[in-house]
Amino acid sequence: MKALKLKREDLYTYLESLKSYGELWGPVPKGDKYVYARLTNVRDVALEALRTIIPPKKFFVPPRFNMFRYFDDHYEEAFDDVKRRVLFGLHPCDIHGILILDELFLERFPDPYYKRRREATALLGLSCVPDDKCMARSTNTHAVEGGFDLAFNELGDNYLVWVGSSLGDDLVRLNIDLFSEEIEPSDLKTYLAWRRKRDSRYKLTFDLTGMPDIMELSWDAPLWQELAEKCLACGSCSMVCPTCNCFNVRDLSDLTLSSGVRQRHWDSCMNKEYALVAGGHNFREARAERLKLWYTHKLKAFITEYGKPSCVGCGRCIDTCPVDINVAEVIRGLTGQKVTL
Amino acid sequence: MIQLPEAKPQDASLNPFLPEEMRLVRRYDLTPDVRFFQVRPLDMERALTLDYKPGQFMMISLAGVGEAPFSISSTPSRPGMLEFCIRKVGKVTTNLFQRKENSIIGVRGPYGNGFPFEKMIGNDILIVVGGLGAAPLRSLLLYILDNRDKFGKFYFLHGAKTPNEMLFRKEFFEIKERTDLNCFLTVDEDKEDNWPFHVGLVTDLFTKIEGIDAENTYATVCGPPAMYKFVIAEFLKLGIPKHQVLMTLERRMHCGIGKCGHCAIGPIYTCLDGPVFSYWDVLHMKDLI
Amino acid sequence: MVKKPKVGFYSFSGCEGDLLTIIHCEDELLDIFGAVDVRSFRMASSERHDDESLDVAFVEGSITTKQQSEKIKKIRERSSVIVAIGSCACYGGPQSARLGYDDWEERFKKVYAGARLTIVKPQESQPLDEYIKVDYYIPGCPMDKHQFFYALTRLAKGMPVELSRFPVCAECKWNENECLLLKGQLCLGPVTAGGCNSRCPNYGLPCIGCWGPTDEANVASEINLLKERNFREQEIVNKLRLFGGSSMVKRFGELLGIKKTSHASSVKTISRSGKKPAASKSSTTGNK
Repeated sequence: MKALKLKREDLYTYLESLKSYGELWGPVPKGDKYVYARLTNVRDVALEALRTIIPPKKFFVPPRFNMFRYFDDHYEEAFDDVKRRVLFGLHPCDIHGILILDELFLERFPDPYYKRRREATALLGLSCVPDDKCMARSTNTHAVEGGFDLAFNELGDNYLVWVGSSLGDDLVRLNIDLFSEEIEPSDLKTYLAWRRKRDSRYKLTFDLTGMPDIMELSWDAPLWQELAEKCLACGSCSMVCPTCNCFNVRDLSDLTLSSGVRQRHWDSCMNKEYALVAGGHNFREARAERLKLWYTHKLKAFITEYGKPSCVGCGRCIDTCPVDINVAEVIRGLTGQKVTL
Repeated sequence: MIQLPEAKPQDASLNPFLPEEMRLVRRYDLTPDVRFFQVRPLDMERALTLDYKPGQFMMISLAGVGEAPFSISSTPSRPGMLEFCIRKVGKVTTNLFQRKENSIIGVRGPYGNGFPFEKMIGNDILIVVGGLGAAPLRSLLLYILDNRDKFGKFYFLHGAKTPNEMLFRKEFFEIKERTDLNCFLTVDEDKEDNWPFHVGLVTDLFTKIEGIDAENTYATVCGPPAMYKFVIAEFLKLGIPKHQVLMTLERRMHCGIGKCGHCAIGPIYTCLDGPVFSYWDVLHMKDLI
Repeated sequence: MVKKPKVGFYSFSGCEGDLLTIIHCEDELLDIFGAVDVRSFRMASSERHDDESLDVAFVEGSITTKQQSEKIKKIRERSSVIVAIGSCACYGGPQSARLGYDDWEERFKKVYAGARLTIVKPQESQPLDEYIKVDYYIPGCPMDKHQFFYALTRLAKGMPVELSRFPVCAECKWNENECLLLKGQLCLGPVTAGGCNSRCPNYGLPCIGCWGPTDEANVASEINLLKERNFREQEIVNKLRLFGGSSMVKRFGELLGIKKTSHASSVKTISRSGKKPAASKSSTTGNK
């Protein structure tokens, strides 16, 4: 992969040039947290931001959107909000999250709503140094080798810029004078030193070896009931998880009654009616069953199917759950360690 | 050689979430709360080429109401018309029951894996139906009858609660007269005393089965949940291998194409990897049934 | 199109904020009147037909007098579907915050002292379903107009109404609000029914539970959590009860230390003899 160098002080100038491609979005502060927002002023970007309240999945599957309008005799697809966008500041874990969503939404029966938005979006990564909630090293998602258009890596006074796609190359050419191709031996040294620093900062680690087997053996473990007593079933974990992708569909009629929209919105398996079928049978009535489904899906089913967990170690569940049920705690519980709940 | 219907995914350039307009050609009541619907695409060419496998399902999509999955009750060996056998239980079905003949409804599909004919061909077949289980298994029953020479011995065991609650009564009575299969019908109770056949549970009918080659038999069951345990025990008693015992499952679904997540069970999606599963699958996925 | 359903709007004790919500739908008001045949809506029209049968009656407010309890029964008799709109109609509203404490008569005397009652016979504030069968509930203080539109269009098409069953937290995440609970505020988001688009947290204000509890509200865990964050038990219970009304009594009575009194038959009207009911304890048991 082609690597270039960009001077740190030129970052804002470059971000400004990206606007000629499409809307520029990046993390900005919201209270003590961060959210992805449109960068009208490139200097608003929070380069220090680690995790946004909700992950970048909101760009590809918005929390709620109209699939189509229906009329008495026809349908009209709704793609009005699909815009060309550049997302800047994606950390490796979030890029991994997007790659997992790609597998779910673009393989076998591609989802046109995801596909159109995804294709209209350029992904620009940014390296980060973890905090005490980052688990990406344990999920092996702390580095990213592809799937982005450009990836910016801290490198002393420069950014090392990996060009990951043809589109990435086009984006570089929007202001090619800012980039240098001269990589020196000292750059490698700086890069390796930075990498060591990053890796040493992962305080929260766990071992996923054999996790599907461990989960199989934990099917009837009292842990699930213990967690269920605390769980508020608020669904926040699903909303903030970069790989949770469940949705519900409902029809909203206009007051004229002859037209309306079919709307899709995020759902959570923590929602009681998640597995309720017509006639009243609920396949997952108990909260413990639903909690188990959530974690089985991340740590067992996905590993069985794709050889990797669908947890990217972003730490949002740790940051979000009011009663501290999160991937790290559950793994601790499953592997016989003390749960601090 | 038999023409295996291929489950064709829709053209990727099409939006799989957009329903296809179909005409409700005919409807009539099978019992007071179960209605039979005949539906076909507006375009006759499309109606004649719409391909599916027994065991697959379609999403019936009513604008302003919602969508729900329904097993296909017709057989692809009799093209031109899709048939559904539907009980009124929720908002989609309630609204569907209000639709008159000749009205236009939305349908998407077919979805799901369907029955594995490539493996079932040449084997003996055993179909056990209870109540509304006729909805998906009628498709299989008719398909096998229409391709009778490709299969071995064929048993069809059918149980209903009462004679009045029996679905497809006339059709199954006629099938019982056929000599190219062994069809046995029963009802749990017959208060009016007008039932000409056996009275008792569907499992009683297993005594009628003789001379099947268990190792080379595919057995399938669909009916009320309470029935499975007992019927499967009978299959196993006959010596039918667990991976040749098939059943179709129900789950909440919002897409039918493995996206919405609602029908996920372990690593599988009922809508893509099912709804037809083997007992062997069931044994290995704790919350499958 | 089928015949337009006949609809009536009625108001009992409350601030009429729900009917006001409808009146304020300036862009949609004509469409509402186009979709259904409005037979009674005193805030919108002086024309009233209060003796004929209705397809749907939307009713706001709680029942606080004997006359009201008789009137609501009459509305029930002539309506195929009754929709309780707003938290007063659904759960009794703030005026039912002390439901189940069984000291209504005392409270009444304390407030109104020797006031002579001439027109109405007051009684403990109760939600509609204490007196009649309610088909659908659209909670909120006030209700959300989009949920009302949804219910109206569903019913106009003869379909059941199925409202969101998410707690406030879900929508609050969609709106990317900072979690106020985690910031140390007494927020009832996790146990409160959503559908309001997390209106209060969007403005940095904690959820006060005005839509009542969700289907699966884990109130015990919420109380524990808030206690860990140094809120007093009584403060938490008061907050839960402010809008929780009958739902708290019926569903979490034991947990909150509320004595269950139910049914209209046990609702006392003020008696001249002034027999004093035994004061009930109001301590809470919190969580096991």
